Amino acid sequence: MAYTTFNRNEFDTFAQPMFFGEHVNVARYDQQKHKIFENLIEKQLSFFWRPEEVDLTNDRKDFVDLPDHEKHIFVSNLKYQTLLDSVQGRSPNVALLPVVSLPELETWIETWSFSETIHSRSYTHIVRNIVPNPAEIFDDITKNEHITRRAISVTKYYDHFIELSSYYSLLGEGTHTVNGKTIEISLKELKRRMYVMMVSVNVLEAIRFYVSFACSFAFAERAKMEGNAKIIKLIARDEALHLTGTQHILQIMARGIDDPEMAVIAEECRNDVVRIFSEAAQQEKEWAEYLFKDGSMIGLNKDILCQYVEYITNQRIAALGFEPIFASKSNPLPWINAWLNSDNVQVAPQEAEISSYLVGAIDSEVDTDDFGDFDL
Amino acid sequence: MAHSYRDALDDFELDGQRDNAEPFELEPIEAEQIGTQPQQVELCFPLPNAEHAEQSNQFELDGMAKPQYAIQLSNGQHAIFQHAQTLLDSLESQHIDLHFQCREGYCGSCRVTLVEGDVHYREEPMAWLNEGEILPCCCIPKTDLKIKL
Repeated sequence: MAYTTFNRNEFDTFAQPMFFGEHVNVARYDQQKHKIFENLIEKQLSFFWRPEEVDLTNDRKDFVDLPDHEKHIFVSNLKYQTLLDSVQGRSPNVALLPVVSLPELETWIETWSFSETIHSRSYTHIVRNIVPNPAEIFDDITKNEHITRRAISVTKYYDHFIELSSYYSLLGEGTHTVNGKTIEISLKELKRRMYVMMVSVNVLEAIRFYVSFACSFAFAERAKMEGNAKIIKLIARDEALHLTGTQHILQIMARGIDDPEMAVIAEECRNDVVRIFSEAAQQEKEWAEYLFKDGSMIGLNKDILCQYVEYITNQRIAALGFEPIFASKSNPLPWINAWLNSDNVQVAPQEAEISSYLVGAIDSEVDTDDFGDFDL
Repeated sequence: MAHSYRDALDDFELDGQRDNAEPFELEPIEAEQIGTQPQQVELCFPLPNAEHAEQSNQFELDGMAKPQYAIQLSNGQHAIFQHAQTLLDSLESQHIDLHFQCREGYCGSCRVTLVEGDVHYREEPMAWLNEGEILPCCCIPKTDLKIKL
């Protein structure tokens, strides 16, 4: 089915599945098949924020004073976060928009991706503030083998789907020969790739991001890099919403609510889901090893982070209706809840380390010389 | 200083009498006495307890007290829900800690399984809930509850 930017067919919106139905035409929100996506859009819009709102001048001083192994932890973590949001800022659009069939879902995908671009912009804001030359951090993301290895694991399911989806939109189902290569295109295989891709997106948002948040907040627990933690807090608030969006998409698919074939595929892919979650947990543990290779920091080390990986993996896979993978039960980082909670995202300026609030404040230093020209 | 203390005295004559007393000596003020470092003081209030009844000036009417509901958890812990705004607040005030993030129903971090009983949502939660699951951050009990963590 060739993609059309404005489908002129007449069809019943409520008969359309989320994906692979009629292409969307009128972007109308007065009738919704899945109202949840409209609610998510509203919520995401109400969360709007800009990185420049957060002052990072104290972070610059904190960063200079960090010991080398903590600089490594901070910068590597930041690079990983930059990678994740670079992927998430474009991939949902590229992969999902050509096959989406509901206007509210289409707009949710766009809103979701847009908020990821804000996250990417905030990493540039952070990097600009902590190092004189941002290129030394950004350029390493495509060179450092530890980061590139992560890049492959977060993008392969996207790429796998997009490849087949592009052929499908050009050629449709069937066996085709392109540049001398035989390509088998079936809608079922495309749906299968879509489902595992969504699982991998869920893993990215629900596990990988949270492991990186734990590192950012561990610095702030020690009153270091607090501006950065404030930004991460705003990002975590958005990610919690994206995670809910992805869980809804996955559950609507798994229950075959609007496409019975999707339920069959989800059932066939149960082992893949467990495998994708386990692989991600293993990769996060390896990453923890790399982060703490030169030493731990107060409050966080490789073992605690690995326990957190297991805990959060169990939580997230249970949310999809699967049995937990690991034995761990309790949260090894109980303080993270307070940082993740968005209730206290917006604080009064006098309550926190917003140094811009002090810019106009009175200089409290008084010297005897200051009384020199007093004449009595 | 253009208009000093002495000038002020000159201007201010009482009954035409000049005040010819010598100006008193001022002790030079040491910077240390004022303090060069900004001082930070912390005020510690007792943490609010979600299960404590709010002070109210209204008359207590017989039979109008808030109902109490017993909450039983799979790990053997017990709690009583009466005054709190949400089930999560109530449990936390009784030292039962659940995972949480948003506390307003969109993240789903606090989801638990309701084995027995019924709850009421003040606002429809956005997070996905499987059959039998509830979000303690935005619901209150309608009956006694049995919860599986």
